[in-house]
Amino acid sequence: MPPQNTGAEFGKLTNVDQQDAGEDASKQSSKASVFVNTEPMREEQVQNAVKFLSHPKVRGSPVIYRRNFLEKKGLTKEEIDEAFRRVPDSQPSEQTAGANQANTPDIQRPAQSQALQPGVSGSAGVTTLSRTSSRYSFHWSHALVAVGFLVVSGAGTAILIKKSILPRLKSWIRKIVLEEEYNQLESTDSKPTVVEEASKAAKAAAAAAVELAKANQEILTCRNEEKRYFLDAVSLLNQQMQEMKLMTNEIRRLEASSGASYSRREDYQVNQTSSKPFIVNGKRDYGLHSVTSSSQPASVEPSSAPHPKSYMEIMAMIQRGEKPSNIRDIDDSPPNPNQQPSNPRLAPRAKPWEVGQVQHNSTPVFQSQVNGKDLNSSVLDNSDNAVPRWQAKNARIREIDNGVENNGYNAASSQQPIKRTWVPPQPPPVVMSEAAEAIRRPKPLVQKEQILDDQSVHHSSDISDKVMESSELSKSEGQMEGSSTNAVLGSAEILEES
Amino acid sequence: MPVFKTPFNGYSVKFSPFYEDRLAVATAQNFGILGNGRLHVLSLSPNPSQPFTEIAAYDTADGVYDVAWSESHDSLLVAAVADGSVKLYDTALPPTSNPIRSLREHTREVHSADYNPLRRDSFLTSSWDDTVKLWTLDRPSSLRTFKEHSYCVYSAVWNPRHADVFASASGDCTLRVWDVREPSSTMVFPPHELEVLTCDWNKYDDCIIATASVDKSIKVWDVRSFRVPIAVMNGHGYAVRKVRFSPHVRNLMVSCSYDMTVCVWDFMVEDALVSRYDHHTEFAVGVDMSVLVEGLMASTGWDELVYVWQHGTDPRAP
Repeated sequence: MPPQNTGAEFGKLTNVDQQDAGEDASKQSSKASVFVNTEPMREEQVQNAVKFLSHPKVRGSPVIYRRNFLEKKGLTKEEIDEAFRRVPDSQPSEQTAGANQANTPDIQRPAQSQALQPGVSGSAGVTTLSRTSSRYSFHWSHALVAVGFLVVSGAGTAILIKKSILPRLKSWIRKIVLEEEYNQLESTDSKPTVVEEASKAAKAAAAAAVELAKANQEILTCRNEEKRYFLDAVSLLNQQMQEMKLMTNEIRRLEASSGASYSRREDYQVNQTSSKPFIVNGKRDYGLHSVTSSSQPASVEPSSAPHPKSYMEIMAMIQRGEKPSNIRDIDDSPPNPNQQPSNPRLAPRAKPWEVGQVQHNSTPVFQSQVNGKDLNSSVLDNSDNAVPRWQAKNARIREIDNGVENNGYNAASSQQPIKRTWVPPQPPPVVMSEAAEAIRRPKPLVQKEQILDDQSVHHSSDISDKVMESSELSKSEGQMEGSSTNAVLGSAEILEES
Repeated sequence: MPVFKTPFNGYSVKFSPFYEDRLAVATAQNFGILGNGRLHVLSLSPNPSQPFTEIAAYDTADGVYDVAWSESHDSLLVAAVADGSVKLYDTALPPTSNPIRSLREHTREVHSADYNPLRRDSFLTSSWDDTVKLWTLDRPSSLRTFKEHSYCVYSAVWNPRHADVFASASGDCTLRVWDVREPSSTMVFPPHELEVLTCDWNKYDDCIIATASVDKSIKVWDVRSFRVPIAVMNGHGYAVRKVRFSPHVRNLMVSCSYDMTVCVWDFMVEDALVSRYDHHTEFAVGVDMSVLVEGLMASTGWDELVYVWQHGTDPRAP
């Protein structure tokens, strides 16, 4: 069983400051805490997450994918944060460090995104990950072994050749010497024979030297060729890697642009196991509707929706790079970007679910349903006998409307057009005074973090890691319980975002 | 029942919170893959021979994926455009003055727009760039950007009873609940094994939220005990694209799906399917229930038709 003391923290484990613990408890008892996870942390889940995060292949992946994986497994934010805290050096800064790691994340990310997106169970995803990346690493070590082998063989052949040439040289010299001796014994001329022999010996030596030189050159060229082959092989491997990276990016882009909801994961069967007692609507036999002649469904896998034929045609056109001919160049930019919206003619109408809701508004009760009534009654007058059914119900709603105060809007009625200025929104109805107290208490730390949060978000909409880092930072400092919307707007004004 | 033919494929339809007879339709050319877009503002008339009048139509360079009516100005609309811009239109101004704003911050297609029904001054947009942005009418730049999802955010909806709380449904298979007063999401859980395409809060019980997904199911959750859904509704043949709770009846909800049907469900009942409408001949992509007229619903789809009908009647009946 998970330890019960974690339950008392109400999921605000990220709060470091102890003095806020008491305030947390009071805030949790207020209405706003309903939308926070109040369940205690499950230790088993945290441990599974720690195992997952400690896996070397997972280390190289972006933090946001690791978090998403854990979220899909059903872990709460607190459990995920706890797991991240327990795994050392699992912060995103790890990715930027080290040239060695620069390669592996690139390889890991496409492999991992492919493994994660299909939503296969965790262990399967990790094993496919390890399989694909092990193939890559295998290639590297294989290349290293090949290089070593080539060098050794080159050295060995050099040695062998040298060994074979030296004896040959020696035998050559011996032969020449022997011949010379033999010639000396036989012949009587000494001087010319000596000279001849000397020249013969010189020639032989030169020839031997030439052969030696040739052999050395051959060795060198062999070595150069081997080196070249090796470099070619390495560059080919690099190219292959680049192409695979590009392909995965393309696939991802294509899938996203075509609307991922249509065809992604529609190959996978969804198994609905009803182990808990909840209301399930019985499955109905369902056959494909016959469609009009303008759009016939294309042949399709069993579980994905059949797209209209013209949809498939357009997709094919786009993929070929053609643009459909019916697109016009439209300039839809605002003619006056500072155009003020026109004054509203009607006051906002209360919603049907707001009837009977207790409101402690300080704003005056706004009875401006008169205009709405006039409008609708005139429309009703126009109809003769058959009042469309959708208008017959109006009476009931309007009666309800008249009795209800407006919630939080200081609007102008059409009787008195007021000059449009931005009016700060009214605070929501206060049900619990303690909550209002907690919200209104100023917290300077809050504003600083709002700025931090907004700044980081503004500068890097693409760099998810950086944002994850900053949101994690602000979470770990975690002083957000006291900020109201006014504080948000106030800090935004300070920032002067552009 | 009135039918309106749009020149482009329909993507979203929303009733006006001010006028019972008014609705907006977001459409995109070429199924929204690549092409222009158009935003229609239609008015229903009792005249049976001409059931629809087009009050305004605004052309955009790229498809319009969603539209939201302002809760403070009866003539203002927010359009979520596929080129990443958020455009504001004022139907009370002449067409040459429109759009009055084009807010360009999202780096990818903006998929949904939702206006705050309580504060009435701010709205959310969610995008395929994994973020949700909070805006007000008077500021040219967003107030906040919520970036935690790791994939496209398909929908962001305000809680109808808590002015600062909203939920976002994403292609990373998670649902996140946020409070704008907090720097990060307050809750996250995986409602489905596959992408979550839509979500909506119950109007009468502030902790109940419905999600629907590519896995063809609709699930209803209580965020206080989010490990087990309150109800699971199967019955759609393909991915469920949009789900909306009824503004008038606590347990009623409507959904539309790629199986071309619009279904009405009562999630507290064993046999939850209340009605099924199969009037569309292509993917049914947008559906809405009127806040002002009980039982009035509208739907649109890739068959370029917009239907408006009363629950319990046949949408195709004249």
